[in-house]
Amino acid sequence: MHALVEGLRQALNLVLDGDPEVWSTTLRTLRVALEATAIAVAVGLPAGCLLGLGRFRGQRAVLSLSNAAMRFPPVAVGQLLWLLMWPHSRWGSGILAGLGWLYAPNAVILAQTLLALPIVVALTAAAVQRVPAELLDQARAFGAPAWRQAGLALREARTGVLAGIIAAMGVAISAVGAILIVGTSLGQATLATAAVTRWNSGGQDARSVAYGAVLLGLFLLIAAGLTRVQHRRTPWIPGRPS
Amino acid sequence: MDSRPPVLIAEGLGVARGERRLLDAVDLRLHRGEVVAVLGPNGVGKSTLLAVLAGLLPAAAGRVRLDGRVAAALQPSALARRTVRANVEAALAWWGVARPERTARADAALGLLHVEHLRDRSADTLSGGEARRVHLARALALRSDGLLLDEPFAGLDPPTRAELLHDAASVLRDPDRATLVVVHDRAEAWALADRLLVLLDGRVAAEGTPREVLEQPPTLEVAVFLGFTGRLRGADGSVRCLRTAQVALDPAGPLHGTVRRRIPEEDGVLCEVALADGSLQVRAAYPGPGIDERVRLRIDGSVRFDRRADPSVS
Repeated sequence: MHALVEGLRQALNLVLDGDPEVWSTTLRTLRVALEATAIAVAVGLPAGCLLGLGRFRGQRAVLSLSNAAMRFPPVAVGQLLWLLMWPHSRWGSGILAGLGWLYAPNAVILAQTLLALPIVVALTAAAVQRVPAELLDQARAFGAPAWRQAGLALREARTGVLAGIIAAMGVAISAVGAILIVGTSLGQATLATAAVTRWNSGGQDARSVAYGAVLLGLFLLIAAGLTRVQHRRTPWIPGRPS
Repeated sequence: MDSRPPVLIAEGLGVARGERRLLDAVDLRLHRGEVVAVLGPNGVGKSTLLAVLAGLLPAAAGRVRLDGRVAAALQPSALARRTVRANVEAALAWWGVARPERTARADAALGLLHVEHLRDRSADTLSGGEARRVHLARALALRSDGLLLDEPFAGLDPPTRAELLHDAASVLRDPDRATLVVVHDRAEAWALADRLLVLLDGRVAAEGTPREVLEQPPTLEVAVFLGFTGRLRGADGSVRCLRTAQVALDPAGPLHGTVRRRIPEEDGVLCEVALADGSLQVRAAYPGPGIDERVRLRIDGSVRFDRRADPSVS
Protein backbone atom coordinates (compact mmCIF):
# COMPACT_ATOMS: atom_id res chain seq x y z
CA MET A 1 0.00 0.00 0.00
CA HIS A 2 2.89 2.29 0.92
CA ALA A 3 4.51 1.64 -2.47
CA LEU A 4 1.29 2.62 -4.25
CA VAL A 5 0.87 5.83 -2.25
CA GLU A 6 4.51 6.74 -2.74
CA GLY A 7 4.28 5.92 -6.45
CA LEU A 8 1.19 8.11 -6.81
CA ARG A 9 2.85 10.96 -4.92
CA GLN A 10 5.94 10.86 -7.12
CA ALA A 11 3.78 10.49 -10.21
CA LEU A 12 1.79 13.54 -9.25
CA ASN A 13 5.02 15.50 -8.86
CA LEU A 14 6.21 14.38 -12.30
CA VAL A 15 2.92 15.38 -13.89
CA LEU A 16 2.57 18.68 -12.08
CA ASP A 17 6.23 19.58 -12.66
CA GLY A 18 5.56 19.10 -16.35
CA ASP A 19 8.16 16.38 -16.81
CA PRO A 20 8.81 16.66 -20.54
CA GLU A 21 9.32 12.94 -21.07
CA VAL A 22 6.11 11.98 -19.31
CA TRP A 23 4.04 14.53 -21.20
CA SER A 24 5.57 14.00 -24.64
CA THR A 25 5.34 10.22 -24.39
CA THR A 26 1.77 10.34 -23.15
CA LEU A 27 0.64 12.81 -25.79
CA ARG A 28 2.41 10.77 -28.49
CA THR A 29 0.58 7.69 -27.27
CA LEU A 30 -2.69 9.52 -27.40
CA ARG A 31 -2.00 10.91 -30.87
CA VAL A 32 -1.10 7.49 -32.25
CA ALA A 33 -4.20 5.94 -30.68
CA LEU A 34 -6.39 8.74 -32.06
CA GLU A 35 -4.93 8.30 -35.53
CA ALA A 36 -5.50 4.55 -35.39
CA THR A 37 -9.04 5.06 -34.11
CA ALA A 38 -9.74 7.66 -36.80
CA ILE A 39 -8.63 5.24 -39.52
CA ALA A 40 -10.67 2.45 -37.95
CA VAL A 41 -13.71 4.75 -37.82
CA ALA A 42 -13.24 5.97 -41.40
CA VAL A 43 -13.10 2.40 -42.68
CA GLY A 44 -15.28 0.76 -40.04
CA LEU A 45 -18.39 2.95 -40.18
CA PRO A 46 -19.09 2.38 -43.90
CA ALA A 47 -18.15 -1.30 -43.54
CA GLY A 48 -20.41 -1.65 -40.49
CA CYS A 49 -23.28 0.03 -42.36
CA LEU A 50 -22.78 -2.28 -45.31
CA LEU A 51 -22.78 -5.29 -43.02
CA GLY A 52 -25.72 -4.12 -40.96
CA LEU A 53 -27.96 -2.74 -43.67
CA GLY A 54 -26.89 -4.42 -46.89
CA ARG A 55 -27.92 -7.74 -48.35
CA PHE A 56 -25.20 -9.82 -49.96
CA ARG A 57 -23.90 -13.36 -50.07
CA GLY A 58 -21.59 -14.22 -47.21
CA GLN A 59 -22.92 -11.36 -45.07
CA ARG A 60 -23.47 -13.60 -42.06
CA ALA A 61 -19.98 -15.09 -42.37
CA VAL A 62 -18.38 -11.63 -42.49
CA LEU A 63 -20.44 -10.57 -39.47
CA SER A 64 -19.29 -13.65 -37.56
CA LEU A 65 -15.70 -12.94 -38.54
CA SER A 66 -15.86 -9.33 -37.39
CA ASN A 67 -17.45 -10.41 -34.12
CA ALA A 68 -14.67 -12.95 -33.58
CA ALA A 69 -11.99 -10.44 -34.56
CA MET A 70 -13.05 -8.16 -31.70
CA ARG A 71 -11.34 -10.61 -29.37
CA PHE A 72 -8.10 -11.07 -31.32
CA PRO A 73 -5.18 -11.08 -28.82
CA PRO A 74 -3.00 -7.99 -29.40
CA VAL A 75 0.10 -10.17 -29.17
CA ALA A 76 -1.15 -12.34 -32.04
CA VAL A 77 -1.86 -9.28 -34.19
CA GLY A 78 1.59 -7.89 -33.36
CA GLN A 79 3.21 -11.21 -34.20
CA LEU A 80 1.35 -11.42 -37.51
CA LEU A 81 2.36 -7.89 -38.48
CA TRP A 82 5.94 -8.56 -37.41
CA LEU A 83 6.03 -11.57 -39.75
CA LEU A 84 4.49 -9.54 -42.57
CA MET A 85 6.90 -6.65 -42.10
CA TRP A 86 10.11 -8.46 -41.09
CA PRO A 87 12.63 -8.22 -43.91
CA HIS A 88 14.70 -11.34 -43.16
CA SER A 89 12.77 -14.25 -41.71
CA ARG A 90 13.64 -17.89 -42.46
CA TRP A 91 10.73 -17.89 -44.93
CA GLY A 92 12.07 -14.84 -46.71
CA SER A 93 10.90 -11.26 -46.30
CA GLY A 94 7.30 -10.44 -45.36
CA ILE A 95 4.95 -9.05 -47.97
CA LEU A 96 4.84 -5.70 -46.15
CA ALA A 97 8.60 -5.53 -45.63
CA GLY A 98 8.93 -3.06 -48.49
CA LEU A 99 7.05 -0.44 -46.49
CA GLY A 100 9.91 -0.27 -43.99
CA TRP A 101 7.46 0.31 -41.15
CA LEU A 102 8.76 -2.25 -38.66
CA TYR A 103 9.66 -0.50 -35.38
CA ALA A 104 8.37 2.76 -36.81
CA PRO A 105 5.28 4.62 -35.56
CA ASN A 106 3.36 3.54 -38.66
CA ALA A 107 3.65 -0.10 -37.59
CA VAL A 108 2.13 0.78 -34.25
CA ILE A 109 -0.69 2.72 -35.91
CA LEU A 110 -1.34 -0.22 -38.22
CA ALA A 111 -1.40 -2.67 -35.31
CA GLN A 112 -3.75 -0.47 -33.31
CA THR A 113 -5.98 0.08 -36.36
CA LEU A 114 -6.26 -3.66 -36.95
CA LEU A 115 -7.27 -4.17 -33.33
CA ALA A 116 -9.77 -1.30 -33.32
CA LEU A 117 -11.31 -1.92 -36.75
CA PRO A 118 -13.30 -5.11 -35.97
CA ILE A 119 -14.79 -3.42 -32.91
CA VAL A 120 -15.99 -0.45 -34.94
CA VAL A 121 -17.31 -2.71 -37.72
CA ALA A 122 -19.08 -5.23 -35.49
CA LEU A 123 -20.62 -2.73 -33.08
CA THR A 124 -21.67 -0.38 -35.91
CA ALA A 125 -23.33 -3.26 -37.75
CA ALA A 126 -25.13 -4.34 -34.59
CA ALA A 127 -26.25 -0.78 -33.87
CA VAL A 128 -27.59 0.05 -37.35
CA GLN A 129 -29.40 -3.27 -37.53
CA ARG A 130 -31.57 -2.06 -34.65
CA VAL A 131 -32.69 1.08 -36.49
CA PRO A 132 -36.38 0.59 -37.39
CA ALA A 133 -36.62 -0.72 -40.93
CA GLU A 134 -39.65 1.48 -41.59
CA LEU A 135 -37.58 4.63 -41.04
CA LEU A 136 -35.04 3.54 -43.63
CA ASP A 137 -37.82 2.40 -45.99
CA GLN A 138 -39.43 5.82 -45.61
CA ALA A 139 -36.14 7.53 -46.45
CA ARG A 140 -35.92 5.36 -49.55
CA ALA A 141 -39.53 6.22 -50.45
CA PHE A 142 -38.55 9.90 -50.26
CA GLY A 143 -35.69 9.32 -52.68
CA ALA A 144 -32.76 8.99 -50.26
CA PRO A 145 -29.73 7.45 -51.95
CA ALA A 146 -27.90 4.62 -50.14
CA TRP A 147 -25.31 6.91 -48.56
CA ARG A 148 -27.99 9.13 -47.08
CA GLN A 149 -29.82 6.08 -45.72
CA ALA A 150 -26.53 4.98 -44.11
CA GLY A 151 -26.10 8.46 -42.65
CA LEU A 152 -29.62 8.33 -41.23
CA ALA A 153 -28.98 4.88 -39.74
CA LEU A 154 -25.70 6.04 -38.16
CA ARG A 155 -27.38 9.08 -36.68
CA GLU A 156 -30.27 7.09 -35.29
CA ALA A 157 -27.89 4.44 -33.93
CA ARG A 158 -25.42 6.97 -32.56
CA THR A 159 -25.55 5.57 -29.02
CA GLY A 160 -24.35 2.15 -30.14
CA VAL A 161 -21.97 3.55 -32.75
CA LEU A 162 -20.29 5.85 -30.24
CA ALA A 163 -20.02 2.95 -27.77
CA GLY A 164 -18.13 1.10 -30.49
CA ILE A 165 -15.82 4.07 -31.09
CA ILE A 166 -15.09 4.44 -27.36
CA ALA A 167 -14.37 0.72 -27.09
CA ALA A 168 -12.16 0.84 -30.19
CA MET A 169 -10.18 3.74 -28.81
CA GLY A 170 -9.77 1.92 -25.51
CA VAL A 171 -8.36 -1.09 -27.32
CA ALA A 172 -6.08 1.05 -29.47
CA ILE A 173 -4.66 2.94 -26.52
CA SER A 174 -4.07 -0.16 -24.43
CA ALA A 175 -2.72 -2.53 -27.09
CA VAL A 176 0.61 -2.92 -25.38
CA GLY A 177 1.23 -6.48 -26.59
CA ALA A 178 1.22 -5.57 -30.25
CA ILE A 179 3.21 -2.36 -29.66
CA LEU A 180 5.98 -4.20 -27.85
CA ILE A 181 6.41 -6.50 -30.84
CA VAL A 182 6.22 -4.09 -33.79
CA GLY A 183 7.37 -0.90 -32.05
CA THR A 184 9.79 -2.11 -29.43
CA SER A 185 12.73 -0.12 -30.73
CA LEU A 186 11.01 3.22 -31.07
CA GLY A 187 13.48 4.53 -28.48
CA GLN A 188 12.77 8.17 -27.73
CA ALA A 189 9.56 7.87 -29.65
CA THR A 190 8.23 5.09 -27.48
CA LEU A 191 4.64 5.00 -26.31
CA ALA A 192 3.37 5.25 -22.77
CA THR A 193 1.94 1.75 -22.64
CA ALA A 194 5.27 0.25 -23.72
CA ALA A 195 7.17 2.63 -21.43
CA VAL A 196 5.03 1.58 -18.45
CA THR A 197 6.09 -1.98 -19.03
CA ARG A 198 9.71 -0.94 -19.36
CA TRP A 199 9.74 1.32 -16.30
CA ASN A 200 7.95 -1.28 -14.19
CA SER A 201 10.53 -3.91 -14.99
CA GLY A 202 13.27 -1.35 -14.31
CA GLY A 203 11.86 -0.45 -10.89
CA GLN A 204 10.81 3.13 -11.94
CA ASP A 205 7.40 2.88 -10.31
CA ALA A 206 6.70 6.61 -10.09
CA ARG A 207 7.38 7.21 -13.73
CA SER A 208 5.21 4.28 -14.82
CA VAL A 209 2.40 5.39 -12.48
CA ALA A 210 2.71 8.91 -13.92
CA TYR A 211 2.33 7.59 -17.47
CA GLY A 212 -0.61 5.45 -16.43
CA ALA A 213 -2.33 8.27 -14.57
CA VAL A 214 -1.99 10.85 -17.33
CA LEU A 215 -3.03 8.36 -19.98
CA LEU A 216 -6.02 7.24 -17.94
CA GLY A 217 -7.03 10.81 -17.23
CA LEU A 218 -6.89 11.87 -20.85
CA PHE A 219 -8.75 8.77 -21.98
CA LEU A 220 -11.44 9.36 -19.38
CA LEU A 221 -11.84 12.93 -20.64
CA ILE A 222 -12.27 11.78 -24.24
CA ALA A 223 -14.61 8.96 -23.25
CA ALA A 224 -16.66 11.38 -21.12
CA GLY A 225 -16.97 13.74 -24.09
CA LEU A 226 -18.12 10.94 -26.37
CA THR A 227 -20.52 9.63 -23.73
CA ARG A 228 -22.05 13.09 -23.41
CA VAL A 229 -22.71 13.13 -27.14
CA GLN A 230 -23.94 9.54 -26.98
CA HIS A 231 -26.55 10.20 -24.33
CA ARG A 232 -27.82 13.55 -25.52
CA ARG A 233 -31.53 12.88 -25.75
CA THR A 234 -34.88 14.43 -25.16
CA PRO A 235 -36.69 13.72 -21.93
CA TRP A 236 -39.57 11.30 -21.89
CA ILE A 237 -42.95 12.99 -21.98
CA PRO A 238 -46.02 11.15 -20.73
CA GLY A 239 -48.56 10.46 -23.46
CA ARG A 240 -46.23 10.20 -26.40
CA PRO A 241 -46.70 7.10 -28.54
CA SER A 242 -44.53 4.17 -27.48
CA MET B 1 -59.24 15.99 -66.11
CA ASP B 2 -55.77 17.36 -66.75
CA SER B 3 -54.71 17.10 -70.39
CA ARG B 4 -51.11 16.40 -69.46
CA PRO B 5 -49.95 12.76 -69.64
CA PRO B 6 -50.59 10.68 -66.54
CA VAL B 7 -47.95 10.97 -63.83
CA LEU B 8 -48.07 7.23 -63.34
CA ILE B 9 -49.21 4.37 -65.53
CA ALA B 10 -49.16 0.84 -64.15
CA GLU B 11 -49.88 -1.98 -66.55
CA GLY B 12 -50.47 -5.62 -65.65
CA LEU B 13 -48.74 -5.39 -62.29
CA GLY B 14 -48.22 -8.67 -60.54
CA VAL B 15 -46.44 -9.48 -57.30
CA ALA B 16 -46.01 -12.92 -55.76
CA ARG B 17 -44.59 -14.10 -52.48
CA GLY B 18 -43.76 -17.76 -52.88
CA GLU B 19 -46.84 -19.52 -54.19
CA ARG B 20 -49.15 -16.72 -53.12
CA ARG B 21 -50.07 -13.99 -55.59
CA LEU B 22 -50.35 -10.68 -53.80
CA LEU B 23 -51.23 -8.62 -56.86
CA ASP B 24 -52.54 -9.83 -60.15
CA ALA B 25 -52.87 -7.87 -63.41
CA VAL B 26 -53.40 -4.47 -61.79
CA ASP B 27 -53.80 -1.56 -64.21
CA LEU B 28 -53.78 2.00 -62.93
CA ARG B 29 -53.41 5.56 -64.19
CA LEU B 30 -52.81 8.58 -62.02
CA HIS B 31 -53.50 12.01 -63.49
CA ARG B 32 -52.41 15.38 -62.16
CA GLY B 33 -55.07 17.07 -60.10
CA GLU B 34 -56.90 13.92 -59.01
CA VAL B 35 -57.00 12.01 -55.77
CA VAL B 36 -57.45 8.27 -56.23
CA ALA B 37 -58.32 6.07 -53.26
CA VAL B 38 -57.42 2.40 -53.19
CA LEU B 39 -59.87 0.68 -50.91
CA GLY B 40 -59.85 -2.89 -49.76
CA PRO B 41 -59.91 -5.08 -46.68
CA ASN B 42 -56.77 -5.81 -44.66
CA GLY B 43 -54.21 -8.07 -46.30
CA VAL B 44 -55.58 -7.65 -49.81
CA GLY B 45 -52.40 -6.17 -51.30
CA LYS B 46 -52.98 -2.42 -50.99
CA SER B 47 -49.68 -1.63 -49.30
CA THR B 48 -47.90 -4.00 -51.66
CA LEU B 49 -49.37 -2.11 -54.60
CA LEU B 50 -48.18 1.19 -53.15
CA ALA B 51 -44.69 -0.21 -52.52
CA VAL B 52 -44.45 -1.43 -56.10
CA LEU B 53 -45.68 1.89 -57.49
CA ALA B 54 -43.10 3.69 -55.32
CA GLY B 55 -40.34 1.44 -56.61
CA LEU B 56 -39.71 -0.07 -53.18
CA LEU B 57 -40.72 -3.57 -54.26
CA PRO B 58 -40.01 -5.19 -57.61
CA ALA B 59 -42.97 -6.30 -59.69
CA ALA B 60 -42.99 -9.91 -60.84
CA ALA B 61 -45.07 -8.90 -63.86
CA GLY B 62 -46.10 -5.73 -65.61
CA ARG B 63 -44.46 -2.33 -65.49
CA VAL B 64 -44.76 1.14 -64.03
CA ARG B 65 -44.12 4.23 -66.18
CA LEU B 66 -43.62 7.62 -64.61
CA ASP B 67 -43.89 11.13 -65.94
CA GLY B 68 -42.26 13.03 -63.11
CA ARG B 69 -41.16 12.08 -59.63
CA VAL B 70 -43.25 10.09 -57.21
CA ALA B 71 -42.87 10.10 -53.41
CA ALA B 72 -44.50 7.69 -51.01
CA ALA B 73 -45.45 8.21 -47.38
CA LEU B 74 -45.53 4.74 -45.89
CA GLN B 75 -47.97 3.66 -43.21
CA PRO B 76 -45.78 4.09 -40.09
CA SER B 77 -45.06 7.74 -39.32
CA ALA B 78 -41.37 6.77 -39.00
CA LEU B 79 -39.82 10.00 -37.77
CA ALA B 80 -36.14 10.23 -36.87
CA ARG B 81 -35.03 11.21 -33.35
CA ARG B 82 -34.68 14.86 -34.29
CA THR B 83 -36.86 17.92 -34.19
CA VAL B 84 -39.96 18.06 -36.34
CA ARG B 85 -38.44 20.67 -38.63
CA ALA B 86 -35.20 18.68 -38.95
CA ASN B 87 -37.26 15.66 -39.99
CA VAL B 88 -38.96 17.61 -42.76
CA GLU B 89 -35.67 19.19 -43.83
CA ALA B 90 -34.03 15.76 -43.92
CA ALA B 91 -36.75 14.52 -46.28
CA LEU B 92 -36.17 17.58 -48.48
CA ALA B 93 -32.45 16.81 -48.50
CA TRP B 94 -33.16 13.21 -49.58
CA TRP B 95 -35.42 14.56 -52.28
CA GLY B 96 -32.59 16.75 -53.54
CA VAL B 97 -33.88 20.19 -52.50
CA ALA B 98 -31.09 22.76 -52.12
CA ARG B 99 -30.21 23.63 -48.52
CA PRO B 100 -31.26 27.32 -48.62
CA GLU B 101 -34.83 26.38 -49.64
CA ARG B 102 -35.37 23.67 -47.07
CA THR B 103 -36.35 25.65 -44.00
CA ALA B 104 -38.95 27.77 -45.77
CA ARG B 105 -40.46 24.74 -47.50
CA ALA B 106 -40.51 22.75 -44.27
CA ASP B 107 -42.25 25.57 -42.40
CA ALA B 108 -44.78 26.07 -45.20
CA ALA B 109 -45.68 22.38 -45.22
CA LEU B 110 -45.96 22.23 -41.43
CA GLY B 111 -48.26 25.27 -41.66
CA LEU B 112 -50.52 23.49 -44.15
CA LEU B 113 -51.15 20.75 -41.61
CA HIS B 114 -51.39 23.23 -38.68
CA VAL B 115 -48.35 21.86 -36.87
CA GLU B 116 -45.94 24.77 -37.36
CA HIS B 117 -45.94 25.29 -33.58
CA LEU B 118 -44.34 21.84 -33.21
CA ARG B 119 -41.38 22.56 -35.45
CA ASP B 120 -38.81 22.75 -32.63
CA ARG B 121 -40.20 19.81 -30.71
CA SER B 122 -38.41 16.49 -30.81
CA ALA B 123 -40.30 13.94 -32.87
CA ASP B 124 -39.97 11.56 -29.91
CA THR B 125 -42.39 13.69 -27.95
CA LEU B 126 -45.25 13.91 -30.47
CA SER B 127 -48.63 12.30 -29.92
CA GLY B 128 -49.91 9.83 -32.52
CA GLY B 129 -52.06 12.47 -34.22
CA GLU B 130 -49.26 15.04 -34.28
CA ALA B 131 -46.84 12.49 -35.72
CA ARG B 132 -49.36 11.67 -38.46
CA ARG B 133 -49.69 15.35 -39.36
CA VAL B 134 -45.93 15.84 -39.45
CA HIS B 135 -45.58 12.71 -41.58
CA LEU B 136 -48.11 14.06 -44.07
CA ALA B 137 -46.53 17.53 -44.00
CA ARG B 138 -43.15 15.97 -44.73
CA ALA B 139 -44.58 14.24 -47.80
CA LEU B 140 -46.32 17.42 -49.03
CA ALA B 141 -43.14 19.47 -48.57
CA LEU B 142 -41.47 17.48 -51.36
CA ARG B 143 -43.92 18.89 -53.94
CA SER B 144 -43.67 15.68 -55.93
CA ASP B 145 -45.56 15.12 -59.17
CA GLY B 146 -47.13 12.02 -57.66
CA LEU B 147 -47.80 11.33 -54.00
CA LEU B 148 -48.64 7.88 -52.67
CA LEU B 149 -50.06 7.71 -49.14
CA ASP B 150 -50.43 4.44 -47.28
CA GLU B 151 -53.24 4.61 -44.71
CA PRO B 152 -52.42 8.12 -43.49
CA PHE B 153 -55.07 7.92 -40.75
CA ALA B 154 -54.17 4.51 -39.35
CA GLY B 155 -54.09 4.12 -35.59
CA LEU B 156 -55.80 7.41 -34.72
CA ASP B 157 -58.69 7.80 -32.31
CA PRO B 158 -61.95 8.84 -34.04
CA PRO B 159 -61.89 12.59 -33.20
CA THR B 160 -58.22 12.97 -34.19
CA ARG B 161 -58.83 10.99 -37.33
CA ALA B 162 -61.86 13.12 -38.24
CA GLU B 163 -59.86 16.34 -37.82
CA LEU B 164 -56.94 15.11 -39.90
CA LEU B 165 -59.29 13.72 -42.55
CA HIS B 166 -60.98 17.12 -42.79
CA ASP B 167 -57.65 18.91 -43.22
CA ALA B 168 -56.21 16.30 -45.57
CA ALA B 169 -59.24 16.52 -47.86
CA SER B 170 -58.29 20.10 -48.71
CA VAL B 171 -54.47 19.94 -48.69
CA LEU B 172 -54.34 16.88 -50.93
CA ARG B 173 -56.09 18.78 -53.71
CA ASP B 174 -53.38 20.15 -55.97
CA PRO B 175 -53.78 20.66 -59.73
CA ASP B 176 -50.11 19.81 -60.28
CA ARG B 177 -50.02 16.62 -58.28
CA ALA B 178 -51.52 13.18 -58.68
CA THR B 179 -52.35 11.60 -55.34
CA LEU B 180 -53.07 7.98 -54.54
CA VAL B 181 -54.20 7.18 -51.04
CA VAL B 182 -54.55 3.68 -49.68
CA VAL B 183 -57.36 3.33 -47.14
CA HIS B 184 -59.38 0.51 -45.65
CA ASP B 185 -62.11 2.66 -44.21
CA ARG B 186 -64.85 3.56 -46.69
CA ALA B 187 -65.54 6.89 -45.02
CA GLU B 188 -61.95 7.99 -45.72
CA ALA B 189 -62.31 7.08 -49.38
CA TRP B 190 -65.60 9.01 -49.74
CA ALA B 191 -64.05 12.04 -48.03
CA LEU B 192 -60.91 12.16 -50.15
CA ALA B 193 -61.27 10.53 -53.51
CA ASP B 194 -62.27 11.68 -56.97
CA ARG B 195 -61.83 8.14 -58.15
CA LEU B 196 -61.97 4.87 -56.31
CA LEU B 197 -60.30 1.52 -56.89
CA VAL B 198 -61.59 -1.42 -54.91
CA LEU B 199 -58.91 -4.04 -54.49
CA LEU B 200 -60.02 -7.55 -53.59
CA ASP B 201 -57.74 -10.59 -53.58
CA GLY B 202 -54.97 -8.64 -55.30
CA ARG B 203 -57.15 -7.59 -58.23
CA VAL B 204 -58.94 -4.37 -59.11
CA ALA B 205 -62.53 -5.45 -58.48
CA ALA B 206 -64.16 -2.06 -59.14
CA GLU B 207 -63.12 1.34 -60.43
CA GLY B 208 -64.97 4.62 -60.86
CA THR B 209 -66.07 7.66 -58.95
CA PRO B 210 -67.07 6.80 -55.37
CA ARG B 211 -70.71 7.52 -56.22
CA GLU B 212 -70.65 5.27 -59.30
CA VAL B 213 -69.01 2.41 -57.47
CA LEU B 214 -71.39 2.71 -54.54
CA GLU B 215 -74.51 2.98 -56.65
CA GLN B 216 -73.59 0.22 -59.01
CA PRO B 217 -70.98 -2.16 -57.56
CA PRO B 218 -69.94 -4.51 -60.38
CA THR B 219 -70.05 -7.73 -58.34
CA LEU B 220 -71.71 -9.11 -55.26
CA GLU B 221 -68.29 -9.41 -53.65
CA VAL B 222 -67.67 -5.68 -54.10
CA ALA B 223 -71.18 -4.85 -52.85
CA VAL B 224 -70.63 -6.85 -49.68
CA PHE B 225 -67.32 -5.09 -49.10
CA LEU B 226 -68.97 -1.70 -49.65
CA GLY B 227 -71.48 -2.35 -46.91
CA PHE B 228 -74.44 -3.87 -48.74
CA THR B 229 -75.32 -6.00 -45.74
CA GLY B 230 -78.89 -6.80 -46.68
CA ARG B 231 -79.61 -9.59 -49.12
CA LEU B 232 -82.91 -10.69 -50.67
CA ARG B 233 -83.22 -13.62 -53.05
CA GLY B 234 -85.42 -13.33 -56.10
CA ALA B 235 -87.50 -16.18 -57.50
CA ASP B 236 -85.24 -16.22 -60.57
CA GLY B 237 -82.10 -16.86 -58.49
CA SER B 238 -80.93 -13.25 -58.57
CA VAL B 239 -79.87 -11.44 -55.42
CA ARG B 240 -80.86 -7.93 -54.37
CA CYS B 241 -78.32 -6.23 -52.12
CA LEU B 242 -79.12 -3.29 -49.88
CA ARG B 243 -77.21 -0.97 -47.61
CA THR B 244 -78.57 -0.20 -44.19
CA ALA B 245 -79.27 3.36 -45.33
CA GLN B 246 -81.64 1.98 -47.99
CA VAL B 247 -83.89 0.26 -45.45
CA ALA B 248 -86.27 1.93 -42.98
CA LEU B 249 -88.83 0.76 -40.43
CA ASP B 250 -92.27 1.73 -41.71
CA PRO B 251 -95.60 0.49 -40.26
CA ALA B 252 -97.04 0.78 -43.75
CA GLY B 253 -94.02 -0.78 -45.51
CA PRO B 254 -94.47 -3.60 -48.04
CA LEU B 255 -91.99 -6.01 -46.40
CA HIS B 256 -92.31 -7.69 -43.07
CA GLY B 257 -89.86 -9.67 -41.01
CA THR B 258 -88.72 -10.60 -37.53
CA VAL B 259 -85.92 -8.95 -35.56
CA ARG B 260 -83.26 -11.57 -34.94
CA ARG B 261 -80.44 -9.46 -33.49
CA ARG B 262 -80.02 -6.02 -31.94
CA ILE B 263 -76.73 -4.15 -31.78
CA PRO B 264 -76.95 -0.99 -29.66
CA GLU B 265 -75.22 2.01 -31.24
CA GLU B 266 -74.46 5.56 -30.22
CA ASP B 267 -77.61 7.00 -31.80
CA GLY B 268 -79.99 4.05 -31.80
CA VAL B 269 -80.10 0.35 -32.50
CA LEU B 270 -78.95 -1.65 -35.51
CA CYS B 271 -81.42 -4.46 -36.06
CA GLU B 272 -80.98 -7.56 -38.16
CA VAL B 273 -84.32 -8.55 -39.59
CA ALA B 274 -85.08 -11.98 -41.06
CA LEU B 275 -87.46 -12.02 -44.02
CA ALA B 276 -88.90 -14.89 -45.97
CA ASP B 277 -86.36 -14.47 -48.76
CA GLY B 278 -83.32 -13.12 -46.94
CA SER B 279 -82.26 -10.69 -44.26
CA LEU B 280 -81.79 -6.94 -43.94
CA GLN B 281 -80.20 -4.56 -41.49
CA VAL B 282 -82.09 -1.49 -40.41
CA ARG B 283 -81.30 1.35 -38.02
CA ALA B 284 -83.96 2.30 -35.54
CA ALA B 285 -84.23 5.10 -33.03
CA TYR B 286 -83.64 4.06 -29.44
CA PRO B 287 -85.08 1.84 -27.91
CA GLY B 288 -86.13 0.23 -31.22
CA PRO B 289 -87.92 -3.10 -31.68
CA GLY B 290 -87.11 -6.06 -29.45
CA ILE B 291 -85.81 -9.48 -30.40
CA ASP B 292 -88.44 -11.64 -32.17
CA GLU B 293 -90.65 -8.59 -32.68
CA ARG B 294 -92.43 -8.46 -36.04
CA VAL B 295 -91.67 -5.29 -38.03
CA ARG B 296 -92.61 -3.83 -41.40
CA LEU B 297 -89.98 -2.35 -43.68
CA ARG B 298 -89.70 -0.03 -46.64
CA ILE B 299 -86.73 -0.10 -48.99
CA ASP B 300 -85.34 2.69 -51.08
CA GLY B 301 -83.06 1.39 -53.80
CA SER B 302 -80.96 -1.72 -54.17
CA VAL B 303 -78.61 -3.42 -56.60
CA ARG B 304 -79.43 -6.70 -58.26
CA PHE B 305 -76.95 -9.39 -59.17
CA ASP B 306 -77.78 -12.10 -61.62
CA ARG B 307 -76.41 -15.59 -61.15
CA ARG B 308 -75.51 -15.82 -64.84
CA ALA B 309 -73.56 -12.54 -64.83
CA ASP B 310 -71.86 -12.91 -61.46
CA PRO B 311 -70.49 -16.34 -60.51
CA SER B 312 -70.20 -15.29 -56.87
CA VAL B 313 -74.03 -15.24 -56.66
CA SER B 314 -74.98 -18.71 -55.46
